[in-house]
Amino acid sequence: MTSRLATAAEPPRHRDPRELGDPPSRALPAPSQPRRPLGATPGMECLPSRGRRRPGYRSPGSTEYSKFLLRAHGCRHPVAHPGGCQPGHPGAGTPLHTRRDNGRGRWDRHHHRGGAVTEDPRARRVRPPEPPREKLLLSPLPRSPVLRACSVPVPSHLSPVQAWVESLRHHDDERRGLTDLHPDVFAVRPRLDILHAVAMWQKNFKRISYAKVKTRAEVRGGGRKPWRQKGSGRARHGSIRSPLWRGGGIAHGPRGPTSYYYMLPMKVRVLGLKVALTVKLMQDDLHVVDSLEIPTADPQYLLDLARYRRWGRSVLIVDVNEMPENIGTAAAGLKTINLIPVLGLNVHSMLKHETLVLTLDTVTFLEKKLLWHDTRYSALYPFSMPYSDFP
Amino acid sequence: MIVFKERRRGRGRYGGRKCGRGHKGERQRGNRPRLGFEGGQTPFYLAIPKYGFNEGHSRRRQYQPLSLQRLQYLIDLGRVDPTQPIDLTQLTNARGVTVQPLKRDYGVQLVEEGADIFSAKVNIEVQRASELAIATIEKNGGVVTTSFYDPRSLEILCKPVVFFLRGQPIPKRMLPPEDLVRYYTDARNRGYLADPSKVAEARLELAKKYGYVLPDITKDELFKMLSTRKDPRQIFFGLAPGWIVNMADKKILKPTDERLLKYYSS
Repeated sequence: MTSRLATAAEPPRHRDPRELGDPPSRALPAPSQPRRPLGATPGMECLPSRGRRRPGYRSPGSTEYSKFLLRAHGCRHPVAHPGGCQPGHPGAGTPLHTRRDNGRGRWDRHHHRGGAVTEDPRARRVRPPEPPREKLLLSPLPRSPVLRACSVPVPSHLSPVQAWVESLRHHDDERRGLTDLHPDVFAVRPRLDILHAVAMWQKNFKRISYAKVKTRAEVRGGGRKPWRQKGSGRARHGSIRSPLWRGGGIAHGPRGPTSYYYMLPMKVRVLGLKVALTVKLMQDDLHVVDSLEIPTADPQYLLDLARYRRWGRSVLIVDVNEMPENIGTAAAGLKTINLIPVLGLNVHSMLKHETLVLTLDTVTFLEKKLLWHDTRYSALYPFSMPYSDFP
Repeated sequence: MIVFKERRRGRGRYGGRKCGRGHKGERQRGNRPRLGFEGGQTPFYLAIPKYGFNEGHSRRRQYQPLSLQRLQYLIDLGRVDPTQPIDLTQLTNARGVTVQPLKRDYGVQLVEEGADIFSAKVNIEVQRASELAIATIEKNGGVVTTSFYDPRSLEILCKPVVFFLRGQPIPKRMLPPEDLVRYYTDARNRGYLADPSKVAEARLELAKKYGYVLPDITKDELFKMLSTRKDPRQIFFGLAPGWIVNMADKKILKPTDERLLKYYSS
């Protein structure tokens, strides 16, 4: 129990530490500035802006001197000064202050002769731990932040990776809890060669090229020798449909429907899925959702949600067969947000869409199905027939 | 000092100059005679008289070897359960052996490799077994039986699920052909058609020959399991010939007609 709380207190490793300085809490502090509308998109003015101006956001290089904006022409004057910013204005070219390192590459401490050590007051210090503040809870928190452990036992030399569990019910409902993800599915080696192989296989194995051209035997005519062999003065020919002739047959053209069918080994395809899931998770493009319930069947809600949460231009939502009606109707009309069952999950779709959204049931299903291949016997008869240990 | 000289090249595609073909003659011109020709002298393959060493080799019975070491390995890894009778079905399910009935395989034979390290008490049924292998298993308190499966029964035994999905009744196992009857009625080979009392005598004789004390299996806690044997006409342990197994509904259908019952019990 102690270890789980200890791991839950620090954010998951792959997340950006800048954005998740606080432990999971439901209430955000009240905004100090009025919210600005997002860009020129109609219908988005009602939403609060998210971005660098968000309260609580601190960019990594921010110090007290950030208000001294660096302008294009190199002037570091404060915001308002007489004369405006022109190349000839007083003080242009002269820096207000030069920051120097102490000669050993450190910017915060300066050792002077005589043993004095001065600390740079502008150096960024580690923030002291904040005292626990009263949290405004919207609903009672679960006992531990980990909502779901791995269904398949994790080997002792590996530890599960974690991801935030979100909800689609409200645009702000992120970080409901954590879920454990099996490392042999979501933290495998990033084998890009396997991703390429599986993606190319998906593209090509269905291909049948129907191109066919006629050879000199199939082109109409050309059985007779056009003129005698010798004496006519022209080049010798045997038929008017030889490949040399205009209108003749093609010597080495495409012949008949060609199939490009081939199968990669089952375990390679399974590994491709695992690598794709790992890559999505490690690049912050995987989101786990507790269920796919949304308040309205309006497609715009999904678009706004994806925009607000910065999910990217395309979203692939995966569920295990039972999809609520709202999200079904909402996604039906959309081109960039797609809803598929788990059995339709494939590497090409995962790479094509920028974000992948899985439900907790989907994660359980995937772990069970993908991990079975690691410890199964070879096939005695096709897997379409019943096996006693088939998942 | 070793000096590596660069190999002289004739340049061009595939080596250049003579292209590795030699100088003039049949070699360079590609007119060499057929393989085995000895310039007119009666070639070796014609001078030697024929003898039927390999005659009918594709029609001979083959038995996939199963070493005692492999059996011990499977038991140690938990792929084969020694507390149940070990059958060819169990071995195939554990992927311990691969039997191909269509390639004239008639089953599995026990081989002595690993006899010194074998230490498992098993009730095993194979198609052939050498004397030392039988001795090793009986020394450890196990039971060996050799039995015959005709090719159709063997295919059903190796892949039971595929057979059950066909929906056909389980056939009765055929008796061995003439040249194998002698083998399977001999107690020294622990044949399934041999007299049980003679089998007991043979066990004692083997113990005396190889010099070990024959453990008494009647006092064993697994005696009932060790003494289970199949009927000569039975293919599976719990199922009789004539029954149909319905996997989808998980039911077994048994024949009720008198003629069918008479046929399947003969």
